[in-house]
Amino acid sequence: MAEHRALDAILQPGGITPVFQPICAVDNGRWTIAGFECLSRGPKGTHFESANVLFDYVRLKREETLVDRACITTALAAARTLPAEARLGVNVHASTLGRDPSFADFLRGAADANEIAFDRLTIEIVEHAPPWDGLSFLSMLDRLRDYGARIALDDVGLGQSNFKMLLDVRPDYMKIDRYFIEHCAGDTNRQAVIEVITRLAERFGARVVAEGVEDEATVKALKLLGITLMQGFYFSEPLELHAVPALYEPARTNLPLP
Amino acid sequence: MNAQQEQMTRRILIVDDEDLIVMAMRKYFEGLGFIVDGAYELEEAQALLANYRYDLVIADLRLTGIGGVEGLQIVSDVHQRCANTRVVLLSAFGTPEIERESYNRGADAFLHKPKAMMEIAHVARTLLDQ
Repeated sequence: MAEHRALDAILQPGGITPVFQPICAVDNGRWTIAGFECLSRGPKGTHFESANVLFDYVRLKREETLVDRACITTALAAARTLPAEARLGVNVHASTLGRDPSFADFLRGAADANEIAFDRLTIEIVEHAPPWDGLSFLSMLDRLRDYGARIALDDVGLGQSNFKMLLDVRPDYMKIDRYFIEHCAGDTNRQAVIEVITRLAERFGARVVAEGVEDEATVKALKLLGITLMQGFYFSEPLELHAVPALYEPARTNLPLP
Repeated sequence: MNAQQEQMTRRILIVDDEDLIVMAMRKYFEGLGFIVDGAYELEEAQALLANYRYDLVIADLRLTGIGGVEGLQIVSDVHQRCANTRVVLLSAFGTPEIERESYNRGADAFLHKPKAMMEIAHVARTLLDQ
């Protein structure tokens, strides 16, 4: 039996399907699309369609670098048709940033090949383990910033997205994990955590993005906490490329909240 | 809830590096009304175990074909995540020591290959009914 059969299926052409979830700017009861997070799904019809299963498997195989590159290549090839004013967030494991010395050049090549300006990119650092090499990781972030990208820390509040990581990364965006966002409208303790992260972001000069926004009550609670960038099923599920224009075109002109 | 509906709520993971065995067992247990996932390697099984709750895991002891005992790792992983999940290990070469180690780690049954599907299903049903 092939040792890496599932990995082969994931990496073969068409194995990864890019999907795009809007990050919405909410203001005065209306919203626009500030950008998209590029997400990936594994081979259709397999359990790797679930991103959680896909990336748990990839991390267990320690093939984050290979698969991160494949996901980015696929996502940027699709994203070339998205409007140029929308930012694009690509997920990258901290281990990839620490282990892959040519990652910045790879990313620049992929952006150039698809005529995507590098300063539209946000590198969303995801991780479930510490970076393999801290110094390489930090110098890679410097190079990506020098090229014009912004840096987001994903899942803030959980796992490796802790205070040390915040100090090391100095992110431009802090994405608060859905664990804290869901049900925050009726939970003052969750609101306290969100408030602290928001204040921290202000001190860092970073913007906060709330993930996992699923209802109007959550939007209102987040607005009261001063958060204006939101992402979640309340606005839109992750969409395949062909479905993006139907959402994007009306949202360009400021939609009322759903 | 009738027997069929009750089984539909039950989820089984089959782990074997042989396509045909996974396909045959999947077809058999789906025919009995179970939700069945199949995995061909250790990490694939571990990723599924991290994301779904299984009532039963049926795993081959050796997944790499080069003398590994990955099935033992699966037993440990299962019982770290859910003590109520039943585990059946299958092996064509299991020694008494490996069999003992399997039970020490929490396996509920250790079956020596070849075994007819009916026999495996009988053991599985007995464990699920306990």
